[in-house]
Amino acid sequence: MSRVRAMPRQHLVAGVCLLALVLYPLISPWEPYPQGVILLGFMLAIQASSWNIISGFAGYISLGHSMFLGLGSYTVAICALRWGVNPLWLMPLGGVTAVVAALLIGSVVLRTSGHAFVIITIAMLLAAQILAVNFKGFTQGSDGITLELPFWSRDYQNIPFYYIFLALLVLTVLYTAWIRRTKFGTGLIAIREDEGKAASIGVNTTRFKIVGYAASAFFIGVAGGVYAYYLTFLNPVGSFAILGSVVIVLAALTGGKGTLYGPVVGAFIVQLASEAATVYGGGSQTRVLLFGAALVAVVLFMPAGLLPTIEARWRKLHPVTIEFTDQAGALGRSPATTRERALEDVADAVADDLSQGEVLLDVRGASKSFGGLVAVDNASLSVRKGSITGLIGPNGSGKTTLFNLITGGMAADSGEIYLQGQRIDKMPPWQRGHLGLGRTFQVTRLFKDMTVQQNVVAPLPDSRWRTMFADAVSGHEAARAGELLDIVGLRRFAGERAGDLSYGQQKLVELAQVLMLEPQLILLDEPAGGVNPSLLGRLTEVIRELNERGITFLVVEHNIPLVLELCDPVVVFSRGRSIAEGPPGTIREDPVVLDAYLGDDWRPVPDGKAPNTVQTANQTGAR
Amino acid sequence: MTQLLQALVLGLLIGGVYALMASGLALIFGVMRIINIAQGALLILVAMFTWWMWRETGIDPILASVVTTPLMFGFGWILYRTVISRIRDQSASMSVLLTFGFALVVEGVLNVVAGNKFRSATPFYFAESFRVGSISLPKTQVYGFAAAVLVLAALYLILTRTWTGRAIRATSQNPSGAALVGVGAAGTAALAFALGTATTGVGGSILSVLYPFFPASHYDWISRLLGIVVLGGMGSLPGAMVGALILGLAETLTATYGGLRWSTLVFYLVIMLVLLLRPQGLFGAKLREDAA
Repeated sequence: MSRVRAMPRQHLVAGVCLLALVLYPLISPWEPYPQGVILLGFMLAIQASSWNIISGFAGYISLGHSMFLGLGSYTVAICALRWGVNPLWLMPLGGVTAVVAALLIGSVVLRTSGHAFVIITIAMLLAAQILAVNFKGFTQGSDGITLELPFWSRDYQNIPFYYIFLALLVLTVLYTAWIRRTKFGTGLIAIREDEGKAASIGVNTTRFKIVGYAASAFFIGVAGGVYAYYLTFLNPVGSFAILGSVVIVLAALTGGKGTLYGPVVGAFIVQLASEAATVYGGGSQTRVLLFGAALVAVVLFMPAGLLPTIEARWRKLHPVTIEFTDQAGALGRSPATTRERALEDVADAVADDLSQGEVLLDVRGASKSFGGLVAVDNASLSVRKGSITGLIGPNGSGKTTLFNLITGGMAADSGEIYLQGQRIDKMPPWQRGHLGLGRTFQVTRLFKDMTVQQNVVAPLPDSRWRTMFADAVSGHEAARAGELLDIVGLRRFAGERAGDLSYGQQKLVELAQVLMLEPQLILLDEPAGGVNPSLLGRLTEVIRELNERGITFLVVEHNIPLVLELCDPVVVFSRGRSIAEGPPGTIREDPVVLDAYLGDDWRPVPDGKAPNTVQTANQTGAR
Repeated sequence: MTQLLQALVLGLLIGGVYALMASGLALIFGVMRIINIAQGALLILVAMFTWWMWRETGIDPILASVVTTPLMFGFGWILYRTVISRIRDQSASMSVLLTFGFALVVEGVLNVVAGNKFRSATPFYFAESFRVGSISLPKTQVYGFAAAVLVLAALYLILTRTWTGRAIRATSQNPSGAALVGVGAAGTAALAFALGTATTGVGGSILSVLYPFFPASHYDWISRLLGIVVLGGMGSLPGAMVGALILGLAETLTATYGGLRWSTLVFYLVIMLVLLLRPQGLFGAKLREDAA
């Protein structure tokens, strides 16, 4: 009983609806018309839920998803005719063809981010139609293919189809729910929210998108096979109908893309509305107009969809108060045991050798220019293992660009970059992440619509498929994320939306997120910028502790007193290259540095006055 | 040899018309990052309107663009101000869905008003040709090409020689920078959208004599245009020109040597090849913000 009570309300409602749908043909078996309408609703729901994986989770809108229905139909129909087998036994083949097609198309289009995908999905749907017409020997062209009638007695009408589609729908929903729970699902949502950031935390965006696209094709292909048998006839125009794609998009959008049940709810709304339009509104001519108008209306007036809109209203009516500005809580230390273990975990990953002096990161003659502007000019830099290396320099001296070259956000024009002796400058960002290179951003780039917990779970420390499909909601990964949140003292915000946290807290979460990568080297881009002094104290404490456990840091920071106190050695950048390097004591007196960066009016102050300077510099940093 | 020459010349002529049609799509994407899927539907809308005017008044279909172009400019401006601008702050994919929905609305309205059948404007010179040596140039193709080149030249002058044009180009390169030096982003976007839509005025009028059309043919047209801009590099006007000529040639050559039913597939094949070998297109540049 307590298990039932613990279940979210939405699953209970879904269960009750499922029960009603299972019982319906048993209770009133002699109503083929409503059964037929519901059956088509199931089919649309299967398609919309599948579409949701690539377009709702990953945010890559497909306007040609009905192509997979047609591919499934044709595969099953052609094979059934050739081999003389009943189409029902072949329906998995429809799914296989759909997956293969998605893998082929996806590996061409999804290697890059951007707008090409949506264009290709339309183009491929239309191309499939032309191919089905032209390959007459294979598909019987425009004449279409006629299949045998169902083998069961006419007394059963379409009730077997009803249950087959219902079973497929249940499978599809369970399957999307499973994907949503894995790190794969979290990665897809991360891609939707910020693809570049996702790549920087070890998400192989290319692989994730292609697998996501293929995953979104499978059940549509299977349903396509059954659908062909249900209709007992298929032709190119009907199988590869663009309006079919429109209805899928409309259904998912109406219910709420990116949610589990939204596409299902939307599918039934659209199916019923479409049926009503056919009955009361005239022929198929007006359907185009109605669907088009509905699509425009949904995009303009309810872009989030029905379920998220209802949920938002519910939250507004039943607010939960959280004290976001509770400094004592934010700074509170967690029980030492958990923290120690988490830190040891991290230390284990890099425990091989802590000998001071070995070069971990080596940048050799890297250059990058934007048009005529040379941002990084033949720069060389080495970071020794176990150090907290500081990187300072005036604005525009190329520090952040150098970070981007090191982490792979941008490709260097020339030069070489090595991490632990391994050349990394040709690798994609995620591969560098898997080698133990993590970074935070100057302006935090958390996935704002994900919870804090999901943000920390998202990174992938390696490229194994097992890691990709690991459970992200419970189990080892989630427990680890909790431990990492303990390190930065933010565990009690685990369930909150990341975008609702204060800026300083977001910086701490981003640090916890990077720790999930089990990094050897963390690049911090202005960790102190915009952080209040007490949180800043917490941040430096965490950095020191992590460093003691073996993690190397490279820190870009404008808060000079902080750098001089925390970092050793300090590298000074000016005009795209390093002009000085050494222990903080030397750097603070180096006339070249003072001239290039600190200006004439900056003079070393006696130790007693240091706090004053910290504050001044702090304010400058925050601006 | 004659057959090849004929195919090449026809390919260039049709490529010029494609270039005009695709320029609107490229312009709108370049300035606003909006893929206007409705561009094809608007072409058909104008073609239908031109056909109707030609039948009612006898006005030459290609000359009718003098009327349809300003009409579409105004239509585009109103469409942007009332509908498209509402989703400025949302992701680019929402603009695809919105313009796609709008394309369906146009198709549906045409279906209801004009009926689902093929039409084609046939002025008196419809079946006549110019003969140059051994090759024959259909007059409709030549006039259509001439009109397209004229309008493209005008577009080029507007973009390079007027303040409005400079504002549009500035906004497409750096929206926030343009706003800082006093170029209103919303106003410029509306102008660019209107200008992009105006190209469907000429394009649609030319289409009405070159090809038979019916409400649902906008899918063929938008996929052609999308192929062109993907080939040329999304948002690049010169890219759209070159892409249009290449695809015009490829289509005519395939139709001549491979059969008409394969010629449309050439577009899709080219798109896939381009994305495989050079994802940013022929003239597309990788931008600084793409990398981060």
